[in-house]
Amino acid sequence: MRHEFRMSVGAHPGGVGELSAAFAEFAEAHALPAEVRRSVNVALDELLANALSHGRMGLDPCSVTVEVELDRERVTVTVTDDGTPFDPFGLDAPDTTLAVEERPLGGLGIHLVGQLMDQVNYQRREGHNVVTLVKQLANG
Amino acid sequence: MQISTRTTSDIHIVAITGSLDSTTSPEAQKSLDSVLASAKKVVLDFSRLDYISSAGLRILLGAAKQLRASGGTLGLFGLNQSVREVFEISGFSSILSVYQSEAEALGAM
Repeated sequence: MRHEFRMSVGAHPGGVGELSAAFAEFAEAHALPAEVRRSVNVALDELLANALSHGRMGLDPCSVTVEVELDRERVTVTVTDDGTPFDPFGLDAPDTTLAVEERPLGGLGIHLVGQLMDQVNYQRREGHNVVTLVKQLANG
Repeated sequence: MQISTRTTSDIHIVAITGSLDSTTSPEAQKSLDSVLASAKKVVLDFSRLDYISSAGLRILLGAAKQLRASGGTLGLFGLNQSVREVFEISGFSSILSVYQSEAEALGAM
């Protein structure tokens, strides 16, 4: 059994929320385990908030397309945007051992994506940033 | 995302239902700010929190810093497996006080 989900959102307020809700519905309809669905929801929030609101797309309005493929063994998420080249996994990992007073606000998002997913990959392809995430299902 | 607040003696218990992510965090921040304006002892009830992303963590860190600076305390309880995992990865489980139950959190305030 194989299920697919595809949705595009533009850089407008509420775009990320619409996509999160639509993905959660898809996940529920196909009985994706809650733990896996939540991990993907977190990863999508990090990547989309990053792509749509970081202002790195300059003058051109950035749009993001999310495709999800679900089969018995894994869920594969592809996030494609038309913004300027940007490899989210090319950044240094944050220091997660600092005390409350020393913690800079932010910087954790991409670290979370890398840890929550089983595989992450970035490619610049035909003028687009293409991020691929894979999460194995527990009994796959 | 919904936020409700109740008070037990001088402890403010803030329950967050739904998700804390880039979409919901600005509103959560406002609600939390209004609680922090007067409260010194704050307990966050996460038993109905579905998931949290870095945008939500940012709010928690801000609240923790603010309370620490003013001599207050912050406790959390009711984390599901996903929220717990995000706390572990980010190191938040070692910088915030996470309790197993509401009773334990209230007792520690």
